[in-house]
Amino acid sequence: MASNITTTQTVGPFPHEAWQWAVDASAKLESSASVITISGVIRDGDGKPINDAWVEVWMPDAVAAEAAQAIPGFRRIPSDDDGAFQIQVSLPHPASSGKPVLFATIFARGLIKHQFTAVFLEDDSGLAQSDILNQVPSDRRHTLIARKQGKAQYHWDIWMQSDKETVFFDYI
Amino acid sequence: MRFESPEAGVYPSLIYPPYVSTVKRGPTQEPLRIRATEPVQTNITASPRLILPHDTDLTKHGQSEPLGEKIVITGRVLDEDGKPVRNSLLEVWQCNSAGRYWHKRDQHDAPLDPNFYGFGKMLTDDDGRYRFVTIKPGPYPWGNHHKAWRPAHIHFSLFGSVYAQRLVTQMYFPSDPLFEFDPIFQSIPDAAARQRLIARFSLEQTVDDKMLGYEFDIVLRGRDATPMGL
Repeated sequence: MASNITTTQTVGPFPHEAWQWAVDASAKLESSASVITISGVIRDGDGKPINDAWVEVWMPDAVAAEAAQAIPGFRRIPSDDDGAFQIQVSLPHPASSGKPVLFATIFARGLIKHQFTAVFLEDDSGLAQSDILNQVPSDRRHTLIARKQGKAQYHWDIWMQSDKETVFFDYI
Repeated sequence: MRFESPEAGVYPSLIYPPYVSTVKRGPTQEPLRIRATEPVQTNITASPRLILPHDTDLTKHGQSEPLGEKIVITGRVLDEDGKPVRNSLLEVWQCNSAGRYWHKRDQHDAPLDPNFYGFGKMLTDDDGRYRFVTIKPGPYPWGNHHKAWRPAHIHFSLFGSVYAQRLVTQMYFPSDPLFEFDPIFQSIPDAAARQRLIARFSLEQTVDDKMLGYEFDIVLRGRDATPMGL
């Protein structure tokens, strides 16, 4: 049967005022779980930071711990002037199952279709058994893994292009 | 839900040189089709408390009426089985009637309207329907190339029933002479998919002498996970 889906268009450069309410709703975190921070920079094919991108995050496992939030388990984060973003992640239990700690959706001017991806923690002892990572070609899995920087601090960059291009998903 | 492969040409070409900023920002690799349970089964809970008074009437944000042509836009949000997507969050944003966004980076030499900010949000009802009142946005230049003018459009952001249904798109108005010159619109190879982004004028939705009505239905990806007949 022919598909009649509504196609995508870019978010453009000007969603900030319209999208701010959800930035505010997710900026201040009340969580009963332990919280880690994943920081990174989103870059284009020349390695240039993208200063008008958006990272939206869905963390189904964090919903219960974030019951006090306006939208539990959700973040919306604009990249700053340096293309940088910081995501606060509730971890109800230590990552050991090979599950992503978050699902991310990326939007930007010049990106005509938003892109889905996911982030895993490098110290998750279950990465080798990950259902999702095992579907990703082994030489690209590293693009989905946040590196530990210190206590409760991780680093994960998003590359739209280049030999470091982040793996983007189309869910089945 | 389950998500079939999109048909070729329905989604825009992610690297489409006439739209200059796609050249370095569009992913070069095909998206990886993967099975993952939570994205196709779970989603945020959008509480009705998130919706504020006047979020569905963009003409009520200032001290008085904004300038321009007042219109109402309504439609249904459906999945690929034709089932309504209920109680689902939908955001809209747009420029004003003169073609200027309420945004510090918009330097277009057109006036801001102190009575029009140009954004709203709402939840779909039990029939999947949304409805909001606004001002018809103007076309505006965007510097992509010489005489680059965007056709009038309203941005839509939808959260669907499950996470993987997330959609951001733009709604256009019928018979815009700028369609053929707009690389953002033309980045969609499939002509029928382009046409589905164009609202239709509706006398039925037109409200007396107050405002013209437009209908814009949206079909999100995703079908029932259980095949029919099982």
